Parts: sequence; C-alpha cells; structure tokens
Amino acid sequence: MLVEARRNRGALRRVTGLARSTPGRLSLLALLLVVVSLLVGALTATSVQRRSDALEALADRSEPLAFAAQEVYRAMADADATASSAFLSGGVESAALRGRYEADVAKAAAALSAATSEITRSPELTEALSTLSGQLPVYTGLVETARAHNRQGNPVGAAYLREASALMQTRLLPAARELYGVETGKVMGDLEDAGSLPWLELLLGVLVLVVLVFAQRYLTRRTNRVLNPGLVVATALTAVSLLWVLAASLLVVYNASASKNEATLVDLLARARIATLTARGDETLTLVARGSGTTYEAEYVEADKVLDDLLGRVRVLNPTPPVLEAAEHHGRWREAHREVRRADDEGDYTAAVALALGRDGQGAATAFDALDSDLVEAIGAARAELTEGIGRARAALGGVVPAVVVLALLAAAASVFGLWQRLKEYR
Amino acid sequence: MRRLLAVLVVVLAAACAPVPSGAPPIGGGSPVPPRPAEAVELTEPPSTADVPPASCDPTASLRPTGPLPPPGQMPAGSTMAQIQARGRLVVGADQNSYLMGFRNPFSGELEGFDVDLAREVARAIFGDPGAIQFTVLTSEQRIPTLERHEVDIVVRTMTTTCERWQKVNFSTVYLQAGQRVLVPSNSDATGIESLGGKRVCATKGSSSLANVAAAASRPVPVSVTHWTDCLVMLQQGQVDAISTDDTILAGFAAQDPYTKVVGPQFAAEPYGMAIPKADEDFVRFVNALLERLRADGTWARIHQRWLGDPPAPPVAVYRD
Repeated sequence: MLVEARRNRGALRRVTGLARSTPGRLSLLALLLVVVSLLVGALTATSVQRRSDALEALADRSEPLAFAAQEVYRAMADADATASSAFLSGGVESAALRGRYEADVAKAAAALSAATSEITRSPELTEALSTLSGQLPVYTGLVETARAHNRQGNPVGAAYLREASALMQTRLLPAARELYGVETGKVMGDLEDAGSLPWLELLLGVLVLVVLVFAQRYLTRRTNRVLNPGLVVATALTAVSLLWVLAASLLVVYNASASKNEATLVDLLARARIATLTARGDETLTLVARGSGTTYEAEYVEADKVLDDLLGRVRVLNPTPPVLEAAEHHGRWREAHREVRRADDEGDYTAAVALALGRDGQGAATAFDALDSDLVEAIGAARAELTEGIGRARAALGGVVPAVVVLALLAAAASVFGLWQRLKEYR
Repeated sequence: MRRLLAVLVVVLAAACAPVPSGAPPIGGGSPVPPRPAEAVELTEPPSTADVPPASCDPTASLRPTGPLPPPGQMPAGSTMAQIQARGRLVVGADQNSYLMGFRNPFSGELEGFDVDLAREVARAIFGDPGAIQFTVLTSEQRIPTLERHEVDIVVRTMTTTCERWQKVNFSTVYLQAGQRVLVPSNSDATGIESLGGKRVCATKGSSSLANVAAAASRPVPVSVTHWTDCLVMLQQGQVDAISTDDTILAGFAAQDPYTKVVGPQFAAEPYGMAIPKADEDFVRFVNALLERLRADGTWARIHQRWLGDPPAPPVAVYRD
C-alpha cells in the first residue's frame, strides 16, 4: 500500500517536474500538437467519408429506387388506361395497344422487383409492396379473363374489365403512390443531408490552426525567435487541408442544391405524366360507360386540372423545348377532348369513339401520345441532370480523405521537427 | 422435490423455447379476392318508397288516342314534336344484359330485344331507326334520370310496379318476364326456397333485389351496380346464386354453360317502357306503336331474333 502510493507520487512528481522545466514543456507541446493534428485529421476524414458514403447511397440506391417506384406507378396507370382503350376499340384489340399493355406489365413487374429488393431499408413499405406484388398477378388475371370473354362475344368481359380497373384504382395505384412518395422523399432527404454546410470539418480545422498559432506565440516568447519553420510548415499544411475540405464541401453543397432542383423537376414531371395517364384512362372510361360515365368525366376534369398545374410549375422551373411542347400538346388534347365530349353529348357515339381513339391529326389519342412522349423526353433529360449533379458532387469529394490524412500526418511531423530544433538547444 | 422438478421443467422449457428470429416475416400471405366496384352484402332490406303505394294494376297504361301519325309529321306542340325537332330520341338502355340490352364486343354497338324495340320507337318518330342516342343506365339510375328529364324513354328490363307508377309512366307491357334463380350447374339448389342463408346477387335499385330480400327463406342479398357484375361474382365463387328475371338469367346461361336456371317463377315481372310523368301524350303514342308491333308481327320477329320462339304477345291493358 505504502510503496504503491509512494511510487504514484514519484510518477506525478516526474510529470510535474517535466512540466516545470522548459525542455519538458516543449516535449509536452510537441506531444499535444501531434495528438491534435492526428485526431482532427482522423475526425475530418471520417466526416468527409460519411458525406461521400451518403452521396454514394443516393446515387446507387435512393435515386434508382425512386425511379423504380415511379416506373411501377406509371406502368400500372398506363396498363389500366391501355386496357380500357383496347376494350373501347372493340372486337380484336390492335396489336399496338396490346403491345403497350404487355410492355407496361413487364415494366411494372421488373421495377417492382427492383423496389422490393431493398425492402429492409424501408420496413414501412412492407404492406404497400406486398399489395403491389400480390395484386398485380390478380389484376392481369382479370384482364385476361375479360379478353377471353370479349373474344367469345360475352358482355361479361366488360364486367371483368371493370373489376380489374376497380382493383387497380382502389388497391394497386394507392400502394404505388405510397411507394413513390416514400422513395422520392428519401432522395430529397439524402440530398438535403449531403448539401448541409460542413460545420464540423471547419470547426476542427480552425481548432488545429488556433492551437498551432498559440504554440508559435509560446515559442516566440520563450526563445526570442519570431518564427519556427516547423510550425510554419505545419500551419500551412493544416490551412491547405482546411481549404481543400472547404472547397470540396462547398462544391458538394452547390451540386446538391442544384440536384435538389432537378429532383423536384423529375418529381413534378413524373406526377404530370401520371396525371396524363389518369386523365386518359378517365376519358376512355367515360366512353366505355356510355352515358353513365359522369363520375369518370369529373375525374378527368380533376386530373386535367392537376396536369395543368404541374405543367405550369415545370414551365417556370425549366422552360426547355420538350416542356414547352408538352404544354402545347396538352392544349391540343384539351381541344380534342372537348370535341369528343361534344360528339358524345350530341348523341354521336361512334364519332366520339373515333375521335377519342383517332390517331389522325385531330384525334385525342394523337395529342395524348405526343404529350406523353414529350414528358418522357423531359423526364429523361431531368433525370440525366440529376444523376450528373450527384456524380459531380461525388467527384468533388474524390481524394479528399487521403489528402486530409496525409496532410495531418505531415503537419504532425513538421510540428515535431520544429520543436525538436528548439529542444536540441537544451542538450 | 416435486416443486424442484416443476422449476426444473420450467427452466428447461424456457431454455428450449425458440429464440425470436430477427428476420422480417413475409407479408401478404392471405389472398384478397377482387370484387366488383360497389358490391355490397345487404344486412337489411333495400329501402322502398316513403309513401306506401296505392293498390293499382301496374300493367294498365294510358289508351292510345288514335292511329299513329306518319313518321316525321308529329302533331305540333306534342312531346314527339319536340323530340323530332331535336333530331334524335334519347333512350335509357342497358349494355350489360345479354340478349336484352348489351354491348356487342365486336362492333361496340348496343344490341338486344330492348334495343330493337327502342329503335322501333325512333323509326315511328323519324322514319329512321338510327336517329337514337343511347344513355346507359344502371337499375338505380332509371327513375332519377327520368325525373330529371334527361332521357325521353327508358327501355331497360324495367318492371311496372305501383310504386314506380307514382314517379313515372309506363307503356303497356311489352314482355312478360318472371323472377327465377340461376345457380352453378353443380349446385343442389332447387329454387329461391332452398337458398336460405346463401348469398344471392341482384342489382341495386332493381325489383329483383327487393324480392330477394323479401323471400321467406331469408337469403343474404348482395347488391351490385351492373347485372354482369353478378355473373362475375358467381364465377368467382363470391355469391351462391343470382336471382332476377328469367330473360336476364337466360342471357347469363348463354354466356356460361356451367350454370342452370332453377325453380319456378316466384314473382311476375311485366316489362314496360318508362316515360317521364309529364309526357302522357308520348305514353299514348308508344302504346299505339306497341299495338301495331304486336299486330303486324314485328314484335314476334324481334322476340325470335333474341329470345327464341315467340309466345303470344302480352295483351295490352288500359286504365284510360
């Protein structure tokens, strides 16, 4: 007991003794500078790495998942609109419509499997995803039953199609909307995180600089030499590291906020496209219902209003040629729809159907197809911009982590070297 | 000692209990069958008229005032003259009752017994059976649409009842139907009396649904929007039977060979064309037309085309 206490006291005295003598103080200062440089270097490197990982997750997972979710939603809405169009055209459906329906189902299933593969990331989507993957085969089964009955001339085919459409509208599309909303929200959240200002890195860098400046002032007072070359080099290295991190982070912030605008644009365009498909589905269903379709027409008006609003917002954000053309084609479709309604209300059902399905200059189908392909083009361009922006942000962070580590090591070494020069004088 | 053993058993059981696994379960294991939109299992009988109907002869209609005016020359000031001025007859019809009023999937056109009769009305006014605009109505929409005067006439498997007479006018009876039951061909049911507790489908607002709800055997009525929704539910095993007029049931049986119509007619369903309450001149006009169609064999020809060998046409009854 007594021996141990004495030994402890001895150790304490040695350290305080060391701190009392100038060489001892210089050694402790060297130790402090090494620890601070290395610790701050490691912390800064970790923080930069975390930001870089977030960007990687955004590029490799969140954004592709959001796109997959958008495809699920879009393909399902399109399949439903196409199935009603094919029914309306009567008899044997056209190869083009059938092809479009099949492509939609294939696309929806593929996009769904992509969205489902990451289910552990979003447990809140379990129910929506299981509804989507469970009910999609039921939907296609009903559509095929409807087709089989249609081919035999049985009016019950129309009832199967109605049941399929009800399933789509009440179960599948709401689940797809939920999936899309959650995934798009994640992209926005990730961009928000990546675009935050690098306060921690800045604070740590400034801390090292302050410590270095204080060490320099201490040395100046003790040794009457204005500058210590080792500490000057260490200060310069730390400043370079800090500026590098700052510049790279600001580039990331800039690119992330630009990407956020692009992501908003992609979201608006995707919603516009879905509104287009909804309106088209309602337009055809109004005719399929033949006079008892006032609810469908009301839903068309609703979807058209949403579409108009979205296109207006897109036009303000990004007035590119496809967007301007989309607005023009939307106007043309509205006109064609008015013609369809006029013909139907005046009792000329055949003419109304011909106008709605017409692929010649004035038909609603022509304007709808043109609008849809404009939107596809605009979405493609906006998405390319978005992924490019994320890529630029990632590139800005390239090499920052090793640079920070190397510079911290060099700064530590330079500090030790500078203080060693002074320590030598006490030999 | 026994207590010690019990403790030992409990400890052992706890030790051997399965460790809760962290793996998420697979959701959506149980199937959710799709349903036609707005299909409802009724827990109480469908609401009927607020005013109890006065006892009447629902088959008796207004007597024609004379011979039919020639097509295209409707008497001035009459309802028919207004229709003629508009250029087309607006008809409430069905596109879901095979053989009566249905959409031909190949042509997209409406066809059937009711549709052919409606075309005869257009021919009598315009001389052209094509001067016609069809508005597809569900059973439930028929009377409100007539009351709002959005159609000139409804020719849609509509039973003349005293309750409905209070809101609309009917022509004389153009087809005598009766309510029966359609079941899958492997069913043991012999009629409405053996369907106690079973789900029986009919459309909302139809007299058939009211009759099912009132049946003594107490089946569970299931109401849908369109007649073909009943067939979908029967084929998907969601209802056990469909009960409505034998004319509509014949259309179902023609679309599905694995069904059969069973039991006797348990309610008479005389069909009349419904016309807005105000248009009495049009009712008399249509009755005059029906007299002619019965007499000149047109009725029999249309019956032959859709419903098979024609019986004697229903005898017109008038209340003057």
